Parts: sequence; C-alpha cells; structure tokens
Amino acid sequence: MTKNLLNYSYYPGCSLHASAKEYDESTKGVFKALRIGLKEVPDWFCCGATPAHNVDELLSLSLCAKNLSLADNVEGDLAVACAACFSRLKTTQHRLTENDIKRKQVETAIAGSVSLEKPVKHLLEILAKDYGLDRLADAVKKPLTGLKVATYYGCLLTRPPDVPELDCCEAPTIMENVIAATGAEPVSWSHRLECCGANFTLSRPGVVLNLSNAILASAKRAGADCIMVACPLCHGNLDIRQKEIEEANGTRYGMPVFYMTQLLGLAVGVPTGKLGLESMIVNPLPLLREKQLL
Amino acid sequence: MSRIGVFVCHCGENISRTVDVERVAEAAGHISGVAYATDYKYMCSDPGQGLLKKAVAEHKLDGLVVAACSPRMHEKTFRNAAKAAGLNPFLCEMANIREHCSWVHEDREEATAKAIDIVRLMVERVKKDKALQPITVPITKRALVIGGGIAGIQAALDIADCGHQVLLVEREPSIGGHMAQLSETFPTLDCSQCIMTPKMVDVANHPNIKLYTWSEIENVDGYIGNFQVTIRKKARSVDMDKCTGCGVCMAKCPQKKIKSKFDCGLGTRPAIYVPFPQAVPNAPVIDRENCTYFKSGKCGVCAKVCGPGAVDYDQQDELITEPVGAIVVATGFELYSIAEKPKGSSIKGYGEFGHGTIPDVIDGMTFERLASASGPTGGKILRPSDGREPKQVVFVQCVGSRAREKGISYCSKVCCMYTAKHTMLYKHKVHDGQAYVFFMDARTPGKSYDEFWRRAVEEEEAVYIRGMVSRLYQKGDKIVVMGSDVLVGVQVEIEADLVVLATAVQPRQGADSLAQKLGISYDTYNFYSEAHAKLKPVECATAGIYLAGACQGPKDIPDTVSQASAAAAKVMTLFAKDQLEREPIVARVNERNCVACFYCKKVCPYGAVEEKEIRDRQGNLVRVVAYVNPGVCGGCGTCQATCPSKSVELDGYTDEQVMAMIEAL
Repeated sequence: MTKNLLNYSYYPGCSLHASAKEYDESTKGVFKALRIGLKEVPDWFCCGATPAHNVDELLSLSLCAKNLSLADNVEGDLAVACAACFSRLKTTQHRLTENDIKRKQVETAIAGSVSLEKPVKHLLEILAKDYGLDRLADAVKKPLTGLKVATYYGCLLTRPPDVPELDCCEAPTIMENVIAATGAEPVSWSHRLECCGANFTLSRPGVVLNLSNAILASAKRAGADCIMVACPLCHGNLDIRQKEIEEANGTRYGMPVFYMTQLLGLAVGVPTGKLGLESMIVNPLPLLREKQLL
Repeated sequence: MSRIGVFVCHCGENISRTVDVERVAEAAGHISGVAYATDYKYMCSDPGQGLLKKAVAEHKLDGLVVAACSPRMHEKTFRNAAKAAGLNPFLCEMANIREHCSWVHEDREEATAKAIDIVRLMVERVKKDKALQPITVPITKRALVIGGGIAGIQAALDIADCGHQVLLVEREPSIGGHMAQLSETFPTLDCSQCIMTPKMVDVANHPNIKLYTWSEIENVDGYIGNFQVTIRKKARSVDMDKCTGCGVCMAKCPQKKIKSKFDCGLGTRPAIYVPFPQAVPNAPVIDRENCTYFKSGKCGVCAKVCGPGAVDYDQQDELITEPVGAIVVATGFELYSIAEKPKGSSIKGYGEFGHGTIPDVIDGMTFERLASASGPTGGKILRPSDGREPKQVVFVQCVGSRAREKGISYCSKVCCMYTAKHTMLYKHKVHDGQAYVFFMDARTPGKSYDEFWRRAVEEEEAVYIRGMVSRLYQKGDKIVVMGSDVLVGVQVEIEADLVVLATAVQPRQGADSLAQKLGISYDTYNFYSEAHAKLKPVECATAGIYLAGACQGPKDIPDTVSQASAAAAKVMTLFAKDQLEREPIVARVNERNCVACFYCKKVCPYGAVEEKEIRDRQGNLVRVVAYVNPGVCGGCGTCQATCPSKSVELDGYTDEQVMAMIEAL
C-alpha cells in the first residue's frame, strides 16, 4: 500500500451517514485517490446542528466541545465535510477561546477539559491549502472541460466573519479555485452566498421554495450546467425540492446539484459507481453524458 | 539649602478621584528642601496661578514643582507663571500625576504612594535645575502650503494677503482639488466651479504666491521658523514660460482615449492634457506613460504644432530647495475604492457589491461628474454602461464608513449631506425618476443642513429606507439591490438602473510617507493628528506645522475653509515676530573632555552636531571637538546617551539630575 501524503482525523456528521451518504462515499473516494488519509473519530455524535444552538447555547457548545475532545484521540487535523458541522465546531472553538466563563461552564457540563487546539478544517481548505491546487490539478485524470459549474457556498462556509477562517466572508474564491483545478469552468453568478432556506425545509417549506428558487434561477441565468455544494442541507433544498420549486414557480430548471466531491471524484478517476450519482434526485447522467464525462 | 514650592492639583476630579491630593501635599512638605506645599482644585486657572505667584513671594521660593498633568499640556502655563513671579521659568517642573498616575491606576492607596514618589523625583530634579536663558532664532517669513485643493488655496491666499510669501505645492497638473470636480454644493446648491475657479485665478495672479504644480515634497529639514524643503518639480515636458495655453497640442494629439482621472474615468483625454478646461495653470502636461513619443520615439505631433515651441521632450525632474518658516499641510482625501481592495490594506473591500465589476455601480464623486455642467455628459445623468437615462437610482450611504468589521469605524461626515444633494440634483434633471436612499442615520449637524435634508425627503420625494444593503448584482440591464428596511422589518429588493455608493472618505495614499518626511504624527487610518483635539485643532505636535482640511479628518467645504483660515492665522501669528524664542533644552559639549569620536554627530537626528576647530593664539590648530548648534538641536538627548566620554549633556536633563532622581526613589 502506498503511503499517504497527508493524514486527517474525520468528523462526518449525521447527515453523511444518512441523507448525504453520497457525500461521505465520494469524499472517501476522492481522498483515497489523492492519497489523503481519513480516520473517523471513534464514538463521534451529533454536533447539535441548528436546533441545539437555537434552544440552548450551552448545550450546543458542549456537544461540539465533547466531539472536539474525542477528536483528540485521532492524529491529524480534523476534516469536516458538512458546512453546518464545520460552522458549529469552529464557532465553539471561537466562543470558548474568547470567553473563559463559558469555557468553565462547558467543562462542567462535559465533565472534562475542553481542548480547542486541534485545527478544524473544511474539505475545501484541505484541498486548496494543505494539498494545494497545483497538486490537485496534477491528480486530474479526466478534466471536466466544458462543464459550467455554479459554485454554491450557502450561508455557513464563510460566515460569520472571523469564525470559519476559510476565505473572504463576502467575496470568497476557494470553491471556484478548487473546481477550476479540475478543468471545469466556474461561472460568475449572483446568489452563491445567499441562504437556501436551510432547515425551514421542514417547518416552513414555502420559505425554502422562494429562496432556493432564486438560487436556481440565478445559476440558470449565469449559464451554469450544474450547481456544486458542500452542505447536505443546501443539497437537500436545491436537489430534493427542485421539482416542487419548479412546480410552484412554473419554471423548469433540471439543474443537477453535485456535492463538490462527486465532481472532484469524476475528475480524479474515482469509479463512477462509488460517487453515489444514482441517489441524486435531479438525474445528472444526461448532462455528464452530453459533456462526455462518463 | 533649596526653598522649593510644591503645588498639587486636583484637576477637578481627574486626579483627586484616585489620588489623595491632600496627603501628597502633606508628604511633599516633609521632603528636605521643600519650603512650601499645598493643593488646589484647578492649578492652571487664574486663582491657581495666583496662588503659585503669591507663594513664591511669600515663601521666597527658588524652585517650583507643579504636580498635575503632563508637561505637554501645561508646562508652558506654569513656567510663564513662574516667570511672572520673578523666577527663571526653567526652575519650574511638572510632576505628571495625571497621565502617569491617576488616569492609569485604580487603587487609591497605591496611586497616592506613587504620586508622592513622582513628586519626590521632581523635587530632586528641581534642586539641580539651572537657570536657562531662551535661545532666539530668526524666522524665515515664508510659508509652504502642501496641497492645492480648497484648503490649501484658502490658507495660501490668507497668508499671502497678509504680505508674506507662500509656496503652494500641488501634486496634480492643476490646483483645484476635489472641489473643482463637484457639481453643486450643499446646502445652497451653488455651482462649485463658480465659487472655486475665481479663487484659483486669485492664486495664480497673487504676487506673493509661488505656485509649484505637478510637484511633490521630496524632503523636509530644519525646524519651526527655519525649515528647508526640497520640492521635486516633475518634468512637465512643456515650458511654462513659453506656453500660451492655446490648446492646439491637445487638439492634435493622436492619443485621445486615455481615461480622465478628473472625470473619474467617464471621459477621455489626450496624452498631452490639462485635467479640465479651467485648470490653473493653463499649461498642459505630457503623460509620459501614455504618450506615443515617450513609448516608441515616434509621433512628436505636439512639438510640431506648438507655435511658441513650448513642448520640451528632454525636460527632467528638477529638485528645488526653498527655505520656509512654517508649513500648512492640506493634502486632502480620496474615496475608498469600490473596485479591488487596496493591497496590504486592513480594509476588507466590498466583494458583495461586485468589486467594481458592475459598470453602473459608481461612487459619489463619479455622480458629481455626471451631474456637473462641465462633466463628460454635459450635466445629463446618464448610465456609464449604455448612456441611457436611469429612472430608478439607488443611493447607498455608509459604504465603508461606520463599518468596524470592514476596517473603518469612523463616520465620513459629508455623505449624508451630499447624498441628499444627489437625490435633488437627480430629481431636477430627471423629473420622472425615483431616488432611493439606504441609510443608517441621517447626520445633518450644520447650519441649514437639516432643512436641506428634509427638503430632499419632503419636497423632492427621495425615498429614504433605513437599513443597509447586503448585495448588488447585475440582472439583465438592471442592478438588483438587496437590502433591509429595519423600521418596517422587511427585506427589500429594488431593481435599479444606477447605484451610487457613498464610499468612505480616506486620507490620500502616501499620507503616511509625507508625514514621516514632515515628522508629524498620524492615526491608524493615516489621518494627520492635531496637537490637541479641542484646544489645538490646527496645530501639529511638531512646532511650525499646521493642518487644514480633510487630511486631518473627513470635512465638508465650510469646515475645511474655516480650518484653512485658522491655520493661516497661526502662521501669521508666528510671522508677527522677528525672532523666535526656543526652549533652551539643548545639548552642550564639554570641550575639555570631548575625544572627537563624533558618535554624537552620527546619531543626531537633527544634524545639529558640527566639528569645531580649537586653535591657539597663534592660530595653530590644537584639536577638533564636537559642537552642538543650539538653533538646530531638538533636545532629544540621543547624543548624551551615546557619548562614550560623557562629554555632552542636555540642559535640564543632566546625568547628575537623572542620578539624583533615581536615588530619590
């Protein structure tokens, strides 16, 4: 077995074991192809996502703090795929670093010390900064030439300012840089940082239908073939609800919504069967065939 | 035995809140050599100074310690009081128990103990103070004004009208600055050009004003009353004595497509150009970067068509050194860039507004050029992208200003008023158009200002939406403005034809390097710092240098003109005397001990150390020693710290005094 170039501990988060299995599968596929080791944190559990911090800040900080201390048992910076998990873990580090009182409360709650030193990194950061765009470009076996991609950041990858430390808060370029390394063409579009409606998808779907419609319309306007996301919830709203959105607005988008690792997987030669393309609601196969990427 | 008086000030409550002043005075009374000690609520007030004078006479005091604020604040006040009481003023010292003690401590016991220590040190110092006589130096009664905008023009005219020579240095080819670019001015809507250009002509015609345009400050040496400034007169490539300003060269120049900086990139100009038709001086400059002759050696049309033969391709930059006695800095401002964020800047830029990629998103100055009768559209409001008249215009205030997270926390002061003005100018020109304004607060403190703003809202029907804009994006030929109305609590989307951003007022780029040449201080944003926020608003902490206009902080025209006249008044006050009294805190060389190593000469930041030859009676050179020119010495003490043979000492800060102070601790 060849030696890994880089090694990370890995926090998949609940979605990647359920509704976003294809994100998990494709992430592992891509990292294996790039010779980046991922070792799942044993006994990890839910980060609290949106509900916890809406109900009780101490609960949400404690859930993440406990997960962070579990992550200390595995070597390597902590790799996170889900934008919400990433945001919660980074927020916890940020809040507890600057607030000693909160830190002590959390230590009492989890009956243990809080460990904030391990860098938490989103997959984008690992690929663009640690692995490097040049190396990524070199690893491409099948360039995604001619594929116009609308890179969708959503709310959480770069916000709030100073917390994620991933890229510029209002004008990021990291997603575009990563996908451009595969030879695909990122389009310039207006709604890449707008909210998709997130978890209102269950409580007030009307909100999601409106907000996600604006995103799909903007991607279409910019001439994109597909949307690339890095968040299971965004994916759910744009992909699973796309048909409903079309019906509600009397339009037709037919816009495949890929996880970033699905597109990267195609480019770096992960077998198509291991990218979970079949579980996407908007069928991407016609587009991929048209672009001769299958 | 000394007879020293100690006067402890309460400074209202500034000191007495933390320091037990009565106890300090009592403890001071027990220090050996102190003949009298007391405390008073405001030592600097008239009764306070009276108390000091009376005590000198009654107790036959021969030295004074005033325990109060920083010597930078009131040393002069109390030394004058000492002088009035018949003492040599340099026998009066300040013990700083405010900035160094009460303001920075909380514990009353500890602060009081520290205040007593500070007083004890200063008593020891005063015991060894010598009576010093002020040094007088001649004053060069000529002023330098840096910057030819309205601030520089006003200051130059005021000083020149008083009969003194003024050098006015301007970086651009013409004076006029930003005010020459404006269309109409608030709150009276009078035409900026109409009130500005006559002043520009006055400058050009004034016998006492020497104008250096297309010139920059290269170096500044010297001190108050006696500065030496080196001015770089950039090669104009046109002989100004021969040029008649006929304009044939500009008409014939084959390069016509260079974006005009004066018109904010909306219009074009040739490579040989004056920035605008009313320029002063009305002599063109060749922009060598864009001139075909300078790029390829071919062309030369302007030289061929110039009747008087004024075009001179071989002209070189010229360095001119001029003596001046005072300097007025009036370098003005520039607007925060809505395009790419400046490199290395701590300011974050506005990627969410398209980073300057949407052509119909412009800044306030660009709108001024659109609205100006002498602008590229002849005063018609037309979109830069397609020349169409915009029917919906969105104005966004506070872009960059009052946004700590973006890097600027201050208010730019002029935007509320000029945006209100813009909505009016727009309505006057496009009657069926609608103006919207996104604002945080409408700040209108100024004479007739609030009435003006109300007029924009009530009579000219501008729709003011309280809230900020989160994003701008192009959708077809419209610009979608996404914002919030925080009063109603809803999200707002407006499809606009034109968006005008009131971007933050910032100091000129390079303001910091000019400040370093001048030796004046500046704040974190590079605005120049006044000596005292309230009582010395036009003076720099560096003597002889004064501030006018927006280089000190965002300012509108009335405030700028007032400050410029104030700076001129300060210069005239200085020039009213023939001799300048300087503090005699200067270094003195003990010639017997000096070993002529001249380390002092190497370290002196003022260039005050000279080599002095000592000769015998027959005129034979015996040896060479260091000599400090008291007129040039800045009293910093660097030479004293450097001298290996301890042969140079600063009056008032001798080694003996410093040692005595340390021993008293």
